[in-house]
Amino acid sequence: MRRVFLLLRKDVLVLRRSPLLLGILIAYPIALAVLIGLVASYGSSKPRVALVDEDNLPAAIVLGGHRFDVARTIDEVSKNVTLVRLSPDEASRQLSDGRVVAVVTVPPGFVSTLRGMVRSPQLQLQLSTGTISSRVEQQVQALVYSLNRQLQRAYIASNLRYVQLILHGGDGSFLGAPITVLGIQKAQRLLRGMPQTPRTATLLDFLHDARLALANTNDALSSTAHPIELVRAPARGRTWALSAEVQAYALGLTITFLALLLAAGSLAAERDENVVGRLARGLVGLGQIVWSKVALAAAVALALGLAISLAFGVVIQLGGVTGGEPWRRLPLLVVGLVLAGGSVGALGAFLGALAREARSASLIAVLVVMPIVFLGLIPAEIVPPAGWISDLLPFSHAVDFFRSALYDLSPWREVALQGLWLLVLGAVFGGLARVGARRLLA
Amino acid sequence: MSPPTPLLAARGAGRRFGHRNALEPVELELWDGEALALVGPNGAGKSTLLALLAGALEASVGSVERRKGTRVGWAPQRPAQYGRLSARENLELFARLEGEHDPQRAVERLLGEFDLPAEPEPSANLSVGNRQRLNLAIALLGDPQVLLLDEPTAALDPEQRARLWRRVADLRAAGGAVAFATQNLEEVEQGAGRVAALREGRLVYVGSAGDYDRGHVETLSA
Repeated sequence: MRRVFLLLRKDVLVLRRSPLLLGILIAYPIALAVLIGLVASYGSSKPRVALVDEDNLPAAIVLGGHRFDVARTIDEVSKNVTLVRLSPDEASRQLSDGRVVAVVTVPPGFVSTLRGMVRSPQLQLQLSTGTISSRVEQQVQALVYSLNRQLQRAYIASNLRYVQLILHGGDGSFLGAPITVLGIQKAQRLLRGMPQTPRTATLLDFLHDARLALANTNDALSSTAHPIELVRAPARGRTWALSAEVQAYALGLTITFLALLLAAGSLAAERDENVVGRLARGLVGLGQIVWSKVALAAAVALALGLAISLAFGVVIQLGGVTGGEPWRRLPLLVVGLVLAGGSVGALGAFLGALAREARSASLIAVLVVMPIVFLGLIPAEIVPPAGWISDLLPFSHAVDFFRSALYDLSPWREVALQGLWLLVLGAVFGGLARVGARRLLA
Repeated sequence: MSPPTPLLAARGAGRRFGHRNALEPVELELWDGEALALVGPNGAGKSTLLALLAGALEASVGSVERRKGTRVGWAPQRPAQYGRLSARENLELFARLEGEHDPQRAVERLLGEFDLPAEPEPSANLSVGNRQRLNLAIALLGDPQVLLLDEPTAALDPEQRARLWRRVADLRAAGGAVAFATQNLEEVEQGAGRVAALREGRLVYVGSAGDYDRGHVETLSA
């Protein structure tokens, strides 16, 4: 153990003496975290969309007796985009130079068509030509969907008032004209007061059926408006947005890359330095040399992983996201970082033993790391063989460990399972590296 | 009373690298106070034999026996040290790995004996001669009784060569032994008691240096 520690201390010293490598080791995870953060923030950002009002929308619109505050309604429905009111020319300019990603135009006559409640008025959508245009189109569709739902509620409420008038009778208005309706209830009372004949009996039967049918109009209208309603199940864990998923992948990717490269390169470097024979002649066993590289990978994974977690924690805290901060889960993360770093390091040591030269080992590690990561990113439900192969590599287990540690309310079972996977894989790859290390003596 | 045993002995020890036979099985003993020169052309198997005797390589066939408690120092032909560590740091690391009781004292002693720079300059930046001196200094850590030196004087200046042979003489006088590979016949004549000649991985001669036919050696080296 003391000899493994001596080699580990030497490797840390050598690492400190390699400014370029050290710089890349520090800059790489930071750059990676920033890039992933940018992608994540783009995913949750609200694109700027121009609203061109060619119909001079009034401050309020009354539809079916329901009053809509236009500004407030737009604010309520535009959850996924930032709507900015612009003139047609300005909107066109900003669309061409990319300051807005889409233009939604309210054409002349929009409100009057809406009030008529006979035809559907149209909004015109103009999109920029870019990679995000499909996403913006979906977001504007969501905006129109939200607007339609509000209007549907108003229409249903308006229709229901007529139904109530038909049922119970009273005063109302239709197309702006005042009306007085007898109502089914009163009609039934009047018919019962008349001499009972087969004809009045038929009318009473009809009124009874009509009253029962109209009594269910509320639910019927709602279900017609929304034949299928999507209800989101309650979330099972802590806050998901940015915090857990992004952190898990950032940590998994960084550690896999660094630990694999470091362990592979540093083991092969022992041969490049011609010291393997000197060490292996009784000073340090080949197994101890391999485990010192695994320990180096675990130590670097711990240090850099914690740095990334702390950086994410600060970003999340500043962003005001609650529930996904890593602070309370740091002890679990420490365990995960050490296990993941060690497991990937063992795989790296195996590659280093096979490659035998530091340069070849580094190149092989870089070439191998990408398929490992991509295999871990393919959902096992879609391509089962990818899942099986990924199960035999540490990356996906590391990501699952971090995801559970950061997100699950009760992560113990998942964390224990993934930790065991990492431990077993580390032992297997470490054993293979020990066998392969004999090649370093040749 | 048990019969005397050599400090080191190759018992039919040979080594293959893949399909290539680097060293045919060799029988060789190294006794107290002895100086054995390994001679032969390049690729004859001298370095492989020394690495086997040092324990840096495992024998593919046969074995290497070491008298119980015998400490062995080994200096390979190509310096074996960490290029990003200074001479002092290399010595300190190997002193600790060798289990020196007082690593710092051993380091200071060897830095002085081999005129090595004490500055924190990476050893990769040292001259070829200084790197070889460091290589030899590391081999002397742990107070070895047997020294296995692979062409130790190839990059040394005359003064350093003289120092090295004095050191070897002291070791032999104290009951230790040395085996060294060399292409320099003067060193064989002056420093060796016995000669082992190798050719194409086979041990072709073992005998006293005085009896050895120099012409035969030159034929081997041609």
